[in-house]
Amino acid sequence: MALENLKKWEKELNTCIRCGYCYENCHIFKLTNWESDTPRGKLILAYGMINGDIEPTEDIAKKIFECFYCRLCEAGCSAKVPVTEILTDVRQVLLDDGFDVEGTHVEVDEDKCCGCGICVSVCKPEATTLKEENGDKLATVDKVKCEACGVCTVACPSGARELKEGYEVSRKELDAKIDKFVKEKLPDDAKEKTVTFCCNWSVFPGLRLSVLPFEDKESNKTLVTMCTGRVDPEMIVQAMRDGIAGVLISACPLGECEHDANYKTLRRVLLLKKMLQQLNIEPERVKLTWVDTNEVAKLEKEINSFSEEVSKLGTVTVE
Amino acid sequence: MDVARLKSIVGAQHVRDAIDELYVYGADASVHQAMPQVVVRPGSIDEIREIARYANSELIPIVARGAGSGMSGHAVPLKGGIVLDMKRMNRIIEIKPDDMYCKVEPGVVDDDLNRALKPYGLSYPPSPASSRIATIGGEIGNNASGIRSVKYGATRDYVLGLKVVLADGELVDLGARTRVEAAGYQVHRLIVGSEGTLGIIVEATLKLVPLPKFRCLSVAMFDKLEDAGESIADIIASGCEPSMLELMDDIAIKAVNTTLNMGLPEVDAIIFFEADGKVKEAIDYEITTMQEICKKHNGQITATSYDLKERTKYFSGRKKLFAALAKYKDGYACTSLADDMAVPYTKMAECARKIHEIADKYGVIMTAYGHCGSGVMHTKILMNPNDKEKWEGAKKAVEAIYDYVDKVGGVTSGEHGIALSKAPAWKKARPDLMKVMTKIKKALDPNNILNPDKLMDAPDDWYTATPIRYMIDKEKTAG
Repeated sequence: MALENLKKWEKELNTCIRCGYCYENCHIFKLTNWESDTPRGKLILAYGMINGDIEPTEDIAKKIFECFYCRLCEAGCSAKVPVTEILTDVRQVLLDDGFDVEGTHVEVDEDKCCGCGICVSVCKPEATTLKEENGDKLATVDKVKCEACGVCTVACPSGARELKEGYEVSRKELDAKIDKFVKEKLPDDAKEKTVTFCCNWSVFPGLRLSVLPFEDKESNKTLVTMCTGRVDPEMIVQAMRDGIAGVLISACPLGECEHDANYKTLRRVLLLKKMLQQLNIEPERVKLTWVDTNEVAKLEKEINSFSEEVSKLGTVTVE
Repeated sequence: MDVARLKSIVGAQHVRDAIDELYVYGADASVHQAMPQVVVRPGSIDEIREIARYANSELIPIVARGAGSGMSGHAVPLKGGIVLDMKRMNRIIEIKPDDMYCKVEPGVVDDDLNRALKPYGLSYPPSPASSRIATIGGEIGNNASGIRSVKYGATRDYVLGLKVVLADGELVDLGARTRVEAAGYQVHRLIVGSEGTLGIIVEATLKLVPLPKFRCLSVAMFDKLEDAGESIADIIASGCEPSMLELMDDIAIKAVNTTLNMGLPEVDAIIFFEADGKVKEAIDYEITTMQEICKKHNGQITATSYDLKERTKYFSGRKKLFAALAKYKDGYACTSLADDMAVPYTKMAECARKIHEIADKYGVIMTAYGHCGSGVMHTKILMNPNDKEKWEGAKKAVEAIYDYVDKVGGVTSGEHGIALSKAPAWKKARPDLMKVMTKIKKALDPNNILNPDKLMDAPDDWYTATPIRYMIDKEKTAG
């Protein structure tokens, strides 16, 4: 059984003191609130499978395959255990042992995929390949390598790729959140409504579902889109059409994006601004800002000043 | 176990009994592990009352659980039964800034509460180091304290009132909302630190204090541990009110230098001391007084600052100590055993020396550090956890340390509680307390369903109380 291969992690798993600091910022845990969905819980399960206390099951595999690779567990770990590396290895071993379960990875609609291969070129973790079936090319996703950054979902010209529903980051769920926010009644003196799209790998604010590191303004909704290379101009236009007066995008600084995608965002935002101008919409309603890890205060400041600027512009009319 | 009944009480989505859930909920931050039969996440007081009534009638153990960050095995369900995961009940019910108290549900995370209090200029200060995940319910169950307890005290000093569900399902409202109370038994204070054995905490009224306006940190180096020890005792005796007073011994210093490359001077001991308050002049006075005391005992002041960034930098050696200890040597683990005894101030240095002596004798590595301002001495036993012989040494070292602590008038646990790991030594040291506690337990929980076999009822040998979490000689220590 491939589980034997995990014994190499025994020393690291012994180092884990099970303090639980790893789950403070875990998105999956914040969603479910079950300790078995925490990084600590998953390490305990891995340990149990290695020492023979428990047998691998489909339920265990499903848990282990749910991870957004934000590595905040490692950042919070008091014993500096390489949590992501261990759990990535456990995923591979479980897959090799026949537990081909669904996780947080990107989904491909095979009916829509035209086999162009653009997704392969934008996938930094090399989780996407093309396979040939009956002479047709089809994109596939490596369930272990895919970090669900979502960059491929915007790059795909056929709309064949999407982040899974159920984790609050699929396009449908993001749209629904914006829609709900648009319908919320604000106090009369509140500013125009804005939306801030944040990167999963920089300050990660929106995924801390229990509490934001700062008080979100009444007039702003902070949402995590995974990598900001996943922000589709269409999402921005859609938000404005729904009644959002301005969209702020908070991305990792250039050169620091783990998925080499923020420069794509920069290009898209520049093009979008030109397009907005042609539609007689103030391009200042869309702003791209660079916020590094731990720059929570900067993000808060950016949101506040952006909100002020957008309010001066008033409501937007998209024809 | 009638899982269907539990599902009907709290909803099917809040009950789990699959092996993966039970295995995870059988562990915490201690060396122990055992599996419950079911994990239940109640969402209301009424649900908890109904669960208690059912469990009491069927004699099923209930173990209430917060974040599972306890280091002595509080949340490990030794007798199986129901684990009540309280994290769903995480509402801050009300904050009364003018009356300086708040009401919270037990699943509120400590840091989340303090974040909510900040806009009012208030804080809930007895927070342990694990405040980022620790829940208020767990902190109360354990009477948690932390780095600033030297000035602000422990959880018990902040619990004004509690709502508790008793073993038979009865809901009782204990304590008050006022700062003082001279009205009958202070039963709510008894619940604090009872480790889930007397009742299930379902609501807490907590005292609040103003956030300090300024904080100043200073660092002193000592070539002799004894000089650091005398400085600590003198600082406390001087009437100064440090908001933090921490010690690191030479092993701790070497650990952060070798594993994290911190570049601390390799002296025999370092103490970190901090003062806080509203008036800068008063803080200056306190810091200067403490510095003079250190200098009198041959200490060298190497840093002092009010600036948050600088304070964080100076304190990072102590802050990152845990990570350093965990990585002390390849193949070693940092085990939580005999890790939080409290001793009189004048015995601090002697206690640290004794710990080193005992570690040498029994072939393990031990460091001494901690919240010396509160008299708490932390240690960790560093060893290869898969080596059975090392565990034999660790067992003897733990016993020798507790014998010493008892001899000098200290207590088995200053912070982390008794539960399983510390029960044998504590029972040996406090026979009178045990008798009274047993009577109280029988009166409140006659069927012994609430966190059974902990504290005075815990097994006499912590090593065989549950399977130890490590793969000792590739075999388990108990079945």
